[in-house]
Amino acid sequence: MARSPLILVALISLIPLLCHSFSPETPTGRRILVLVDDLAVKSSQSLYFKSLSSRGYELDFKLADDPKIALQRYGQYLYDGLVLFCPTVERFGGSIDQAAILDFVDSGHDLIIAADVQSSDLIREIATECGADFDEDPAAMVIDHINYAVSENEGDHTVIASDNLIKSDVILGSSKIEAPVLFQGIGHSLNPANSLVFKVLSASPATYSANPKSKLSSPPALTGSAISLVSVMQARNNARILISGSLSMFSNRFFRSGVQKAQSSTKHEKSGNEQFLTEISKWVFHERGHLKAVNVKHHKVGEEDEPAVYRIKDDLEYSVEIYEWSGSSWEPYVADDVQVQFYMMSPYVLKTLTSDKKGVYSTSFKVPDVYGVFQFKVEYEKLGYTTLSLSKQIPVRPFKHNEYERFIPAAYPYYGAAFSMMVGFFLFSFVHLYSK
Amino acid sequence: MARSTGEDAQALFHSLRSAYAATPKNLKIIDLYVAFAVFTALIQVAYMAMVGSFPFNSFLSGILSCTGTAVLAVCLRIQVNKENKEFKDLPPERAYADFVLCNLVLHLVIMNFLG
Repeated sequence: MARSPLILVALISLIPLLCHSFSPETPTGRRILVLVDDLAVKSSQSLYFKSLSSRGYELDFKLADDPKIALQRYGQYLYDGLVLFCPTVERFGGSIDQAAILDFVDSGHDLIIAADVQSSDLIREIATECGADFDEDPAAMVIDHINYAVSENEGDHTVIASDNLIKSDVILGSSKIEAPVLFQGIGHSLNPANSLVFKVLSASPATYSANPKSKLSSPPALTGSAISLVSVMQARNNARILISGSLSMFSNRFFRSGVQKAQSSTKHEKSGNEQFLTEISKWVFHERGHLKAVNVKHHKVGEEDEPAVYRIKDDLEYSVEIYEWSGSSWEPYVADDVQVQFYMMSPYVLKTLTSDKKGVYSTSFKVPDVYGVFQFKVEYEKLGYTTLSLSKQIPVRPFKHNEYERFIPAAYPYYGAAFSMMVGFFLFSFVHLYSK
Repeated sequence: MARSTGEDAQALFHSLRSAYAATPKNLKIIDLYVAFAVFTALIQVAYMAMVGSFPFNSFLSGILSCTGTAVLAVCLRIQVNKENKEFKDLPPERAYADFVLCNLVLHLVIMNFLG
């Protein structure tokens, strides 16, 4: 009898170890739900899924209209990421709907959306919520008569070979993507009011979006560089979303296909799709570009302990450690653009922190000659990295009465004058009273 | 023209001096005291112009000490002047007591502000 509570305690203490989820300690979640229109996608896109599962993700394939699917149970999310490879689904099965997916993102989970020609309104609406507006014509495709892929050409120039990639090592990895990326599908434009979404693969200026089977009678709605082929969004809670207008760009056929851009003689053995999509999925699932800041410290120069209050004109040192998640461990983050503010309604001090290349960022500065309640603030927003927003409150007091300098040599004449006035008063009193 | 201006000035100065000679002795003592205070203040201003205004509170208290003393002494002079009909009912002892009290307050403030 006495042993059973002990076992219970032991079991409860094991629970945190059994749970995998996005947490500050390990930002890379492991459980991913993949919703497909048709289970054939599982085999036609198998190279992409293999690259995910080889990196340790547990993929759970479900039909999008499966009545038993659910994102959460008893208020706990069952998955850390969601992949929507179901462009034509009109209604999800089970408890999943548009609001459930947006709540999933709002709670910090990642999402990959692949739309395609004939995408349903549901998928379009989810993308619209993320700041990407797909071409309203359901039959429209992205067409480019200049930058089409020669090998895949069927006369309508809808398979595009694009190399207009975003120049960001954190999103696309440090090794350059040499071969163009093949794309066949629908284009989207980005909502200018949404500052969080940005293009990763954009179209060339010669691109337009129209139905390739009908004659183009009026100017197309989406043209040129306004068209985005693949976009990503990082929400304010650091949830990451990938929006692609093409499901076929994930397919084995495009992964293996050679690529030659029209009007270019270079022929690549293999398209850039695999490298591009693998690298960007690393970013989406937080294997790269996820920062954490720990050990915020500040103290007076020459002291170790953090004071409860600073005095004006104190010299202080501020340090913070910033690490980047590498997919398996926290590595020191090295940059030269992290800044700290000493802030009271506006920054009084703005200093760039110097890095020691081991993750520790530090600087020292003089407290301004203003007293009040200040904050140490680090607001770090960099393309592709999670946002760091630290603030620590600290009051600043004026000099105490006995902290002012006294008996200043330069002031001796003034002291002398004041005392001579007192002596003069004393002597004058005698003379004034006793002279008759 | 220049000569006559010089003579006029001389004459004016002479008449002022002879008129001032008639001033009672105790008022002359007060005048001397005021002159001493103003002179000290001028020295401090000259010193501040040379070395800068760094201990500004000390400078201010030094200057205010001198001007305050001068002002109070002038007030005393007005009150003890026999020819001043406005204060003919005020005994000079009372005027002196006021002067002492004001000086005490002045120097208390000056000492606090001197730093």
